[in-house]
Formats: sequence, structure tokens, C-alpha cells
Amino acid sequence: MNNSVISIQNLCVNYITPGDPVKAVNDVSFEIQQGEIFGLVGESGSGKSTVVQAVLRTLPPPAVITGGKVIINNKDILSISNTEVLQYRWKQISIVMQSALNALNPVLTVREQIEDVLKEHSDLKGKAAEDRTKELLSLIDIDVSRLDSYPHQLSGGMRQRVVIAIALALMPPLIIMDEPTTALDVIVEREILAKIIELRKELGFTILFITHDLNLLLEFADRVAIMKNGRLVELDKAQKIRSGGKHDYTQKLIRSLPSASGPREKGLLPKPKSLVLGDQPILEVQNLSKSFYDSGIFNPMSIDVVNNVSFQVFPGEIIGLVGESGSGKSTIAKLITRLIRPTSGDIFLKGSNLKISEARRVPLEYRKQVQMVFQDPFGSLNSVHTVYHHLARPLLRHQLIPEQKLFDYINEMLETVGLRPGTTFAEKFPHEMSGGERQRVAIARALSLSPDLIIADEPTSMLDVSIRMEILEIFARMRIEKNLTIVFITHDLASARYLADRIIVLQHGSIVEEGIAEDLIQSPKEAYTKQLIKAASPGWLKSLSFKNTKEKDVNHV
Amino acid sequence: MDNNQDSIFTRWIIGILRNRKAITGVVIIFLFIFLAALGPFITQDPTAFLSTPLSPPSWEHWLGTNGQGQDVLAQTISGARQTLLVGFTTGIMVVLIGALIGGISGYYSGRIDDFLSLLINVFLVMPGLPLMVILASWLPPGPATLTGVLVLTGWAWNARVIRSQMMTFRSRDFVSAAIVSGEHNIRIIVLEIMPRMLSLLASSFIGASIYAIGAQVGLEFLGLGDVSTVTWGTNLYWASNDMALLTGSWWNFVPTGLSIAIVSFALTLINFGIDEVTNPRLIAERVWREKIPIDTVVNGITPVVKDHE
Repeated sequence: MNNSVISIQNLCVNYITPGDPVKAVNDVSFEIQQGEIFGLVGESGSGKSTVVQAVLRTLPPPAVITGGKVIINNKDILSISNTEVLQYRWKQISIVMQSALNALNPVLTVREQIEDVLKEHSDLKGKAAEDRTKELLSLIDIDVSRLDSYPHQLSGGMRQRVVIAIALALMPPLIIMDEPTTALDVIVEREILAKIIELRKELGFTILFITHDLNLLLEFADRVAIMKNGRLVELDKAQKIRSGGKHDYTQKLIRSLPSASGPREKGLLPKPKSLVLGDQPILEVQNLSKSFYDSGIFNPMSIDVVNNVSFQVFPGEIIGLVGESGSGKSTIAKLITRLIRPTSGDIFLKGSNLKISEARRVPLEYRKQVQMVFQDPFGSLNSVHTVYHHLARPLLRHQLIPEQKLFDYINEMLETVGLRPGTTFAEKFPHEMSGGERQRVAIARALSLSPDLIIADEPTSMLDVSIRMEILEIFARMRIEKNLTIVFITHDLASARYLADRIIVLQHGSIVEEGIAEDLIQSPKEAYTKQLIKAASPGWLKSLSFKNTKEKDVNHV
Repeated sequence: MDNNQDSIFTRWIIGILRNRKAITGVVIIFLFIFLAALGPFITQDPTAFLSTPLSPPSWEHWLGTNGQGQDVLAQTISGARQTLLVGFTTGIMVVLIGALIGGISGYYSGRIDDFLSLLINVFLVMPGLPLMVILASWLPPGPATLTGVLVLTGWAWNARVIRSQMMTFRSRDFVSAAIVSGEHNIRIIVLEIMPRMLSLLASSFIGASIYAIGAQVGLEFLGLGDVSTVTWGTNLYWASNDMALLTGSWWNFVPTGLSIAIVSFALTLINFGIDEVTNPRLIAERVWREKIPIDTVVNGITPVVKDHE
């Protein structure tokens, strides 16, 4: 085992609390071989990022490394002096962080940020440093003319490339990538990953790749380790993991997200046998537009976020609005729920008797009929109130349930969404529940008013992959049981395919394509839809061409 | 049916009671309030001429007498009455007005906010101290005038802070969720957002109270209060008039001065305590420092403590 780049042996990390310490990483051991891509997968709280930060010794208080060895170059990082720690950082190991906007300093140019690393850790100065900086930019396919750009002038994908360039600056043998593409749109994510793999072939460094997305990792990793609750539950070659692995948890992760292409898997998310759309739409959106104004005195600007969008939603169907960030899908959700007013266009609920888009004050009746489930279940629940309060307030406001029956009704609603026993959950505060449980409460709140229409804005994207399916199943079941109509907003084509009957694809605030879910997946008409489908299907990496990436990024700006 | 308000208050009160700093502060403040309330029953008459002027501490007069031969201990204890009353009343009013104007301004954007922001800004740019002096000397002296002047010159900053905090909460999902469920705006502000701002409101109250006690004593020291009443400010005013410092009769001003300092210190302790109770990270970091060997604590490098339990 001489050619291992890093060897982690029995690593333990505790978080110190006033009570017993929390074991964030518990006896984790693995080695990474020269030149391989080693994947570390786990959900939030699994300890995967803690492992990485322990290796760099950058964990903030209240963390303490309580045991184990981290051997790089025959040296144990955990027993060397503090000055040596500073020396090995970046020279031996560098890291690419999740959010490129946070990793880059907004007031320094790209050139200054790269040269800063060179100045701090190497002898390169002046012309030599500039040459090296240019070389690094060309490696990551960014034009040299962007050297003096500030981070905000670059697209998300370009920013992430710059962060990669900084990580490459000293050519360390090992580069850690901690969720490097999670904040990016699917198509850009795929491009960045392709670039990383191409660079690795060219330059031969080793990658420790951290992610929550096992299916993504299986596309390119050589070996994969799976963490859960601070322990390593499985470590094997990627092929072995792909074919199911040994641990139950591995299988759960693999099955957590269906594919956007190929034949539809049976048994996932029940749909009604036949869907007959009525003549009368429950919701009609006509020529809806929304612009945001920046009413500056010197250069007033307006940005069209939603542009002339029209669609109909029929009773009892689930319609999927699919788009990347900036496609205007969340703005449409806010317009339909009238959290914001449209610039122009009409929204009708149940025919033409309610023209909600123009009303100054939204009628209470409309508030009862249209409910919303938000993306972030922690943000959409108020941390100072119990679950009971969250469900009771709307019911009291609309006087749907007599007060003496309120308790039983709330109990019943909680059990409907799988929170059993409901009486126990009713007394809990948001912080006492897991993300999935919180989102169930949010769904119960939306359902409790027996609305005609539910707008679900990315209801699973903040949740761990293994529980996303369970949440989607609640929607599928409620639709059948309560004949609910749902507008399901997502960036993930695959989950839209499985949950929705019809899909509308959005880009830059306009509708690109619209159709029956399965038809649209099997035979997309527009190029953009094809691209989205391809990016969300297994095997995308091999089919990706490496040449065009440079031109695309220049067009981004 | 709604017992959740209780539970956040309960959690808070338990937290405060368990916090060493906060509980020390609370005990001191309650001690002063207790003494102030019982003052007239346990001390001699503070306004009566009892003994030789400027006599030093003795068994008869524990803290001596002032230039008029009045008992200093009695004056200090009854002085606490009006001073604390005016201080805390001002604190409460500043927070109430700040929450009302700042809260409404931050919640409703647009014209309402434009108008109220303008109002806040006007009061912010007014020079507080001269205004205070002018108003206090022009209006009939007394506790009501003092409170009014202090509130008028002190509310704007709090309103400004509460407005900003309200604006960040306004855009949170839980507020959107309440709007979508049809909740009234006023209920959203009072029931959903205000409990989240409790720590800000509490520390605003404490900050405003400290300010009010200080400013009030200052105004009275300058002779702008009602000099015939007994307060900490007038105590100092008379001590200065009687040239206590020159004559070396320290017992004339030290008790009152010390009381003011101790009350401000206790209020500051409570403020620290509230900070720690509402921001668990502060406690976590302190506990962390206590539980690991001191030589392993280095900024920016995670400590390694083998076999730590």
C-alpha cells in the first residue's frame, strides 16, 4: 500500500456540548490510492464533511478530534505541530467548496485571488505568477480576458471553475471536492464534472469527492464509501455498489431517485388508472408576466422573470413545472398564491368568477382554496410555535372546524401524512423533528384546509435523498384519496416524470415545451428538453462532448 | 387553547434562571426594586432635617448626612424609586413605540414604509442631547416630563433596528405560509414575528433602560429635573451644590454613584445572559474551551485531544 495518497485510520471527531459529546465521526478508516476518484457519500448529518474538515484540521469549535491517524507522506497530520499544519494545507491537499460565491472574495478579482494563493504558498512572483495564473485559467477553459473580472461578473459555473483553478494552483497530489456542483443547475453541473474528469486525466491528481448524490457519484467514481450517522457503512468498488451493494442503506440510496429516461419503473408513485381531464380547468393562467424593477435614479432596470406564460390546470391532475434556477418557476408559484402581484396577465380560479390577478386584497375564500408547500421545511415553520399551532391557526381563521373538534381533526391530519401518533407530534416544536417530518407537517398544514389546489414549490429539494420518495408518495396518495389538484414545481425532471401527469418545461421565464409526462420524456421536441433529459439520465458522462464547453461559458455572460 | 406562547416564555425564563450572569443581574435588580418599594417603611424620612449637615457615617446615620442634614442612606434608597421608575418606564415605552413604528414600517413596504422611515430618520438626525436639555428646561419639571423627553429623543434608534429585523423576517417562508393561509397582517406581526424578535426586544428594553437612567441622572444633575424630589440625579445635584467633593464628604455622592453603576452593571449582565440563552453557539464555544486542555486551543486549527470523553 505504498501508493496511497492519504490514509485515514480510525478517525474520531466529537462535538462538545454541555452534556455528553456528540460523536460526529466514529471510527472511520479508508485509504485513497494515487490517481483514483474516491467518493464519500452521505446525507446531511452523516459526518462526511466533518471527515474532510478534520483532515484539513479546519473544523470550527466546538469540534475536537478525539482519535485516529491521518497519514499523508508518512506523516500523521494529527500529531504534527501547528506550523506544519499550515504548511501542508493547500500544498498537499486543497479543497473545492460547495458554494463558489462564498468561497470567492467578492471584492477581489479572479487574478488577485489566484495570485494570492501563489504568493502565500510558493516563490512565484511578478511575471511568473501571472503566467501561472493564465495557465490555470486556460486549464479550466476560461478566457484570459476574464482575469480582471470580479466574481459577480461570472456565471455560477464559471465561478466554480475559478475555485477549481485555485485548488489546482499548487498542484497538490490530493484535491478534496466537497459537493462542488450541488449549487449548480443540472446542465452546468454535468459540464463541470466532465471538466474535472478531463483535468484529472491530463494532470493525474487524486480526488476525494464528497456528495449526497450517490447516483451522480456512480457515474465517475472508482471507489465509493457510504457514511451514515458518523460511521462508514460500506466501502467498495463503484461497480459493486451500482449493482446494489451489501448494506440496506446503500440500496435505499440507489433507489431514492428514479431515472428521467428509459421505461418507467413499475410500482413507484401510484397514478390513477386513467386520467380524464375535465372541460373546465380549475386554474387558468393567461399571459402571465412579472418584471422586477430596480428603480435606480441613474440606470433604472427591469428584469422579466416570467414572460407571457399561459397554461391550464384541470381538476384532479398533477402538473409539473420543470425548470432550472432563473426559469421563473418559483415566481409563478408566488404569483398564483398571490404573494406577489403580476405585472400583467390573468389568473382565474374555477372559471371566471375569481379573477385573482387584479384583486387588491386577496379574498379569504381564495386563501382557503389555494395552499402552498414551501421548499425549506425549516423556514416555512415558525420555530417558536408547536405543530399544533401551525395547523390550528389556519383552521381557526377560516372557521372550518368547531373549536372543540379541532384537536381530533389535527390529530387525524397528522396521521394522514404519516406522523403517528398525531397527538405526540402536535406538541413538538419544529427543531425537535427531522427535515422529512417537518415537511410532512407543512403538507398537513396545506391539506388541513381541504384546498382545491396545492402549489408545491420544490418540496423535496432540501431533504435527504432517501426520504424524498416518501414525501412524493404522500402527494401521489393524496391526489388519489382526496382528488387533489397539485402544481408540482421542481428542477428535477425525473421526479416530475414520476409524480406529474403533464409536464411544462420552463426556461428564462417562458414555456419551452408542454406535454403528457411520459410522452415528453420519451419523445421530447425541443433541444432544451432533450438536454435536460440527457443530463438527468445515467451514462450522461460518456455521451458528453468535451469540446464545446468553452464557447458555452463565454455565452453565459 | 393556544399555550405555545407560554412555552417559549417558559423556555426563556428557565434559560435565564440557569444562566449565571443573567441570574446575578436579575437578583441585583430585584434587590434594588425591593428596597425602592419598601424604602419609606424601613428608612428615616429622606427629606427631614435630622442632624448636623455633612456629618460622616455613624450608627445613627449609616451613610452620614448631606449638606441639609438629611440622612444619605434614606435619600439613596428613596432616590431609587423615581429613578428606576422613570428608567424602566422609558425603556418599555421606547420598545413599544419602536416595535410599533419600526415593525409596521418594516412589514409593509411601499408608501407606509417611506413615510415612517422618513419620520424615524428625522428623529435620528436630531441632536439628542441639546434637544433633551432644551425640552427639560422648558417643560414643567417632574417625572412625566423626564420620561417624555427621554422617550422622544430615544425611540428612533430602536425603531430603526426593529424595522431592519422585521424586513428580514418579512421575506421568510413562515411569514409567506401564514399569508397563504389567510392570516391577518396584524396577527402575523404580533403572533408569528414578534416572538421571534423577543431577544432583540428584550435587549432593546435593557439598552433603553440603561440609557434612560444615565440620561435622567445627567439632566437632573444639571438641575433640569424637579430639585425638590429625591432621586439619584437630584442627590448628585445637591452633593455638587454643597461642594461635597471639595469638603471631602465622600459619603454624600459615593452611595448614589455606586448605585447607578451597580444597576447599569446588573442590566448589562442580564443583556449578556439573554445573548447566551438565545444564541446557543456562544455557550457551545465556551463549554468547548472549558472542556479541552488550554494548550490545544489554537485559532483556525482543530485541536486533537486523544481519548477525550
